[in-house]
Amino acid sequence: MEYKAPVESYSGVVREEIIGIGEKALKLGGENILPFHFFDEGSLPNPPAFALEIADMEPEGWPEHLVEPFKDVISDPVKWAQKCEDLGADAVFLRLTSTDPAVKDSPADEAAALTKKVAESIGIPLIVYGSGDDSKDAEVLPKVAEVCDGMNLLIGPVHKENYEVVGRAILDHGHKASAESPLDINLLKELNVKLCHFLPPDRIVIDPESAAVGYGMEYSFSLMERVKQLGVIVKDSMTQMPIIADLGRECWKTKQAMENKEQGLLWEGITALSLILAGANILVLRHPDNIKLVKETIGGEVWQK
Amino acid sequence: MIIIGESIHVIARAVNDAIKARDAKVIQDLARLQGEAGADYIDLNVGFLRKDTEETMQWIVNTAQAATDLPLSLDTMNPVATEAGLKICKKRPLINSASGKTDSKEQMLPLAKKYDCDVVISVINDRGMPAEGDSKLDSIMDTVAYANALGIPNDRIWADPIVLPVSTAGEGQKNAMATYEFIQMLPEALPDIKSVVGLSNISNGVPVELRPLLNRTYQMMLQRYGLYSSIVDVLDKDMMSMITGGMQNMVDLIYRTMDGEDIDLSPLSQEEINYVKTAKVLMGETLYSDAWLES
Repeated sequence: MEYKAPVESYSGVVREEIIGIGEKALKLGGENILPFHFFDEGSLPNPPAFALEIADMEPEGWPEHLVEPFKDVISDPVKWAQKCEDLGADAVFLRLTSTDPAVKDSPADEAAALTKKVAESIGIPLIVYGSGDDSKDAEVLPKVAEVCDGMNLLIGPVHKENYEVVGRAILDHGHKASAESPLDINLLKELNVKLCHFLPPDRIVIDPESAAVGYGMEYSFSLMERVKQLGVIVKDSMTQMPIIADLGRECWKTKQAMENKEQGLLWEGITALSLILAGANILVLRHPDNIKLVKETIGGEVWQK
Repeated sequence: MIIIGESIHVIARAVNDAIKARDAKVIQDLARLQGEAGADYIDLNVGFLRKDTEETMQWIVNTAQAATDLPLSLDTMNPVATEAGLKICKKRPLINSASGKTDSKEQMLPLAKKYDCDVVISVINDRGMPAEGDSKLDSIMDTVAYANALGIPNDRIWADPIVLPVSTAGEGQKNAMATYEFIQMLPEALPDIKSVVGLSNISNGVPVELRPLLNRTYQMMLQRYGLYSSIVDVLDKDMMSMITGGMQNMVDLIYRTMDGEDIDLSPLSQEEINYVKTAKVLMGETLYSDAWLES
């Protein structure tokens, strides 16, 4: 008897969302099959995208081999962002580290002005994250949204603790929200439900928290897998959003990545690759070499099916 | 449906304080109120009782018996405490509970034989908590065989598949479904063995005002699958009404959701919609979140 491989067909679709404006605006999501399941009925219209991370101040604690590609621009966020674009990033990820009350507690106005300058200096989209301090982010992120009105940034992390004030500013000023919850499918859904009381679901991206290989990555992996299965197979509307994997930060603080360049590249590259397999739609990296490395590994052409 | 009243529970602050202060009134009021509300048994959940083990257990048993004629369910993992209580129970009590763990089989089960009382056996064993319906059943069959060999007949045994909080990262919803399977398979696999659950654990960790809705809905679902007994909040009036055949419109909606019907929510009241949404969560049809009623 001839073997016939089973072909699955699902009715759930991940929302296709655009970040940024103009020619280089980026489409995320849109798939109605599981990651790499090209043999099934359906498509993955938008291949995984790669953002390079920069900070609003010279980063502390980065090993020399990570600073090296940016050493001439690292003290200037605008030049640093432009360099990321030159190096082939699909987006720039700006972390407003200096706003953290435990770092410099720099004011919201300053952060917002810098964000606008960075966004205007590049053609690719900008993702901007606050420090993660819920109350400070509740001041900084609405200001960023306001000052960058209409630029369609992806703004995060939006937390359960500040989603109302941050989410409304995102709504009012034409941006997208990156909704972050601590590695838990139920909490992730709850935050999306609450945001959707006022923000359209196609303006939300899911940040489920991404751990590094060897440091709990399997939790992030199974969570992303679950989000995709629920969205594509079960058609749970509250998990049908693209996923962002903010992984560079986690990888480059590991002992292994700190030790030398080769280990660092592999640590970040393997984590990124694994999370693409789990369903991540956009990956935040720190080392530019990994864009090429990971893209080659996943084989760009198959994604254009 | 045999109803076991859960309100005398050491996790409740007032109960804990009353036990420490030997304040009989708090315990007696709760025993009496639960009896009036329709309980068949009064559960005495006293914790492990590391200190003053026997004296404390005997105090609470005597205190409860002074206020109610109902039989008691002695709820502790400590066999010394259990035996102290068994010695003075006037009505045939329920040991709550033994399990398939070696310690429990060797120390708790013989008490059921010695005092000729009923005993709850949970599916937990030395390997942990079986996750699937059939592995839960396998586990209980092993422990029942052990109990039978001690001379405990099947009609003295109540089997507990263990209810987990529905809010625990998806596992709770899977376990809720494994529990339905267990309850349906039990009568054929082990005739004369009764099923029992600690119902309210389904809503542990859920915002407190939403807990009764989950508890009631889950009770109705388990009852439909043939559940024999449940440890519940008998002071929840709607719960007791539903158990005894009231609120039929809500119960019908739960049943129709269980049957997979795609119910049109538009003509329904908010309360009715809430029961439909809750049943969908407990059938594993929609992913749980604390905001399950809001979407």
